[in-house]
Amino acid sequence: MRYVKITNEKIYDFLERLKNYGKLYAPVKISDKFYDRKEIEDVREIAFEYIRTLMPAKKYFVSPTEKMFEIDIEKGEYKETLENIEPFVIFGMHACEIVGLRILDGVYLDKYPDIYYKRKRDAGIIVGLSCLPDEYCFCNLTRTDFVDVGFDLFLHELPDGYLVRVGSPNGHKIVDENTDLFEEVDKNDIDAFRAFEEKRQEMFKWEGSFDNMRYILELTMEDEVWDEEVEKCFGCGNCTNTCPTCRCYDVQDIPDIDGKKAKRIRFWDSCQFRGHGLVAGGHNFRGTKRDRFLNRYICKNAYFYGLGTSYCVGCGNCTYFCPANIDYLKNLMKIRSMTEVKNG
Amino acid sequence: MSLKIGVHGLTSCYGCQLKMASVKEIINIARNFDIKYWYMISSKGEIEHVDIAFVEGSVTTKEDERELKIIRENADILVAVGSCAIHGGVQGILFGEEYEKAFKEVYGDKKIEYEAEISHPIKNFVEVDYNLPGCPPEEDEIIYYLATFALGSYPEEKDYPVCSECRRNGYPCVLIEKNDCCLGPLTVAGCNARCLKYGISCIGCRGALEEIAWFDSLAKTFKEKNMGEEYVKSRMEIFGKQYEKMEEMLKKVFENED
Ligand code: SF4
Ligand code: SF4
Ligand code: SF4
Ligand code: SF4
Ligand code: SF4
Repeated sequence: MRYVKITNEKIYDFLERLKNYGKLYAPVKISDKFYDRKEIEDVREIAFEYIRTLMPAKKYFVSPTEKMFEIDIEKGEYKETLENIEPFVIFGMHACEIVGLRILDGVYLDKYPDIYYKRKRDAGIIVGLSCLPDEYCFCNLTRTDFVDVGFDLFLHELPDGYLVRVGSPNGHKIVDENTDLFEEVDKNDIDAFRAFEEKRQEMFKWEGSFDNMRYILELTMEDEVWDEEVEKCFGCGNCTNTCPTCRCYDVQDIPDIDGKKAKRIRFWDSCQFRGHGLVAGGHNFRGTKRDRFLNRYICKNAYFYGLGTSYCVGCGNCTYFCPANIDYLKNLMKIRSMTEVKNG
Repeated sequence: MSLKIGVHGLTSCYGCQLKMASVKEIINIARNFDIKYWYMISSKGEIEHVDIAFVEGSVTTKEDERELKIIRENADILVAVGSCAIHGGVQGILFGEEYEKAFKEVYGDKKIEYEAEISHPIKNFVEVDYNLPGCPPEEDEIIYYLATFALGSYPEEKDYPVCSECRRNGYPCVLIEKNDCCLGPLTVAGCNARCLKYGISCIGCRGALEEIAWFDSLAKTFKEKNMGEEYVKSRMEIFGKQYEKMEEMLKKVFENED
């Protein structure tokens, strides 16, 4: 892998230049407690300190609502709506979310690639950013705390700048076309990088392995520890909508008033909603709130063959953004009887 | 052949009809449907057989009840429009003794022409085929319902909460952030989280989700955020009074002191 360095003095120039490669999206503070990614005009608005955004970066690849087809009812024809997609750059993705995107790739880009997803994925440049965990983060348990693929550039914080890992041909291109911004990495930088990584590891609250979580979950689904948690849940879907790897969508056909044309749209769905498990004939595979509640735990802890990790990347969003204060990780720890807290 | 439709109002503010009459595509509605009855648009017309009758308003008088039954007898499909028709509306907040008291306060011993009653959703008197929720309904849903009927299909009613649209739009959650008494988690989506766009918590005007409005879970969280029973109840009741289970669910939470 190629490593270069950028100093703090040049970082805003760098961000400004990223705009040459597409529309720039980065985290900004949107309210007292929340950050979200927005299109950036003034690069000084970017919130480097953010930990999580209200909407995961998946919103740029699977739109919350998007048009799929235009349908000509009279002719009985339809065509895919393939709107022009401009290149774009997402700045500041943390490791967990980059792995999350790769998980989405595994789902959307299989033998039958999802054309809407693929076109956006091809147009997007990913610039990663290192982070220090808060009490909600547990990517160390899910083994998604460090990424080796899935980004074009990845910036690691140093006392006086960033150590940059170059992860793709596009990444090389950006570095090569802006050599005036970058310099070689020296021994001090490497020491600082190592120290940062060590400090980061020490900050994670939990330790242990998640690998058998799915099985323990399946075996304890009837357990009464779940009763109280199910009772607390609103079924509001905030947990899945803020999850970087949730990928369920619903599809609806919307006709025009004269009945000649229609459009097909898709929009984010959630297994926390009753309609998610409803099939033709009126049967519902997840007819109770308990079924729906547990479905998420089972789904997120399934094994993703593509990466050898679970579908959960340990970002903590589902807990942070749950209005009912339901703690996903603590619930999992309860059934695993794991209580160890390293640093409190 | 265009579908014959009728639009009717019982006891309500007539906001739903007004919304239906003022949609951008009203001309196309007039072109593509055979409007047999719609008092807001034309004083002509008597109740006659239609393919679809849209009924706004709740039943609060004997006259409402009589009219509703005639509408039902003359319609193949009946759609309840808006919170009054679907849940009894804001006027449904008065029940039992409270109702008697309020009635006395307003009318005293005066004799009034019509026989007034507690406000009821129309489903208490006739079979309702579809609900078109809202207070008033949203333009896109009005068109969607009409258009699907015109195609010989039917509308898919939303069965998920306002939170879904709040999140899809990226509005900050006021329940988490400001400890606001937001009723989005139990309210039928479709308004595109209209109030949350302005950071105002949802009051539940579109009505609670049938069977899956967890008044208890939400009240438990509100209680943990130090909101009192009276306050929570008074907010939930505005549009939720007609949910049989609401009182019981709230009682369970607030009487259980832990
Ligand atoms: S965010 Fe919380 S309350 Fe809402 S569905 Fe998920 S677990 Fe339940
Ligand atoms: S399940 Fe929760 S912690 Fe895991 S990836 Fe999804 S939002 Fe993050
Ligand atoms: S089933 Fe539920 S948990 Fe799994 S991806 Fe879909 S919304 Fe997320
Ligand atoms: S602000 Fe209200 S509607 Fe929006 S997510 Fe929070 S609880 Fe749901
Ligand atoms: S957010 Fe709530 S109160 Fe506001 S329009 Fe929607 S349902 Fe009504």
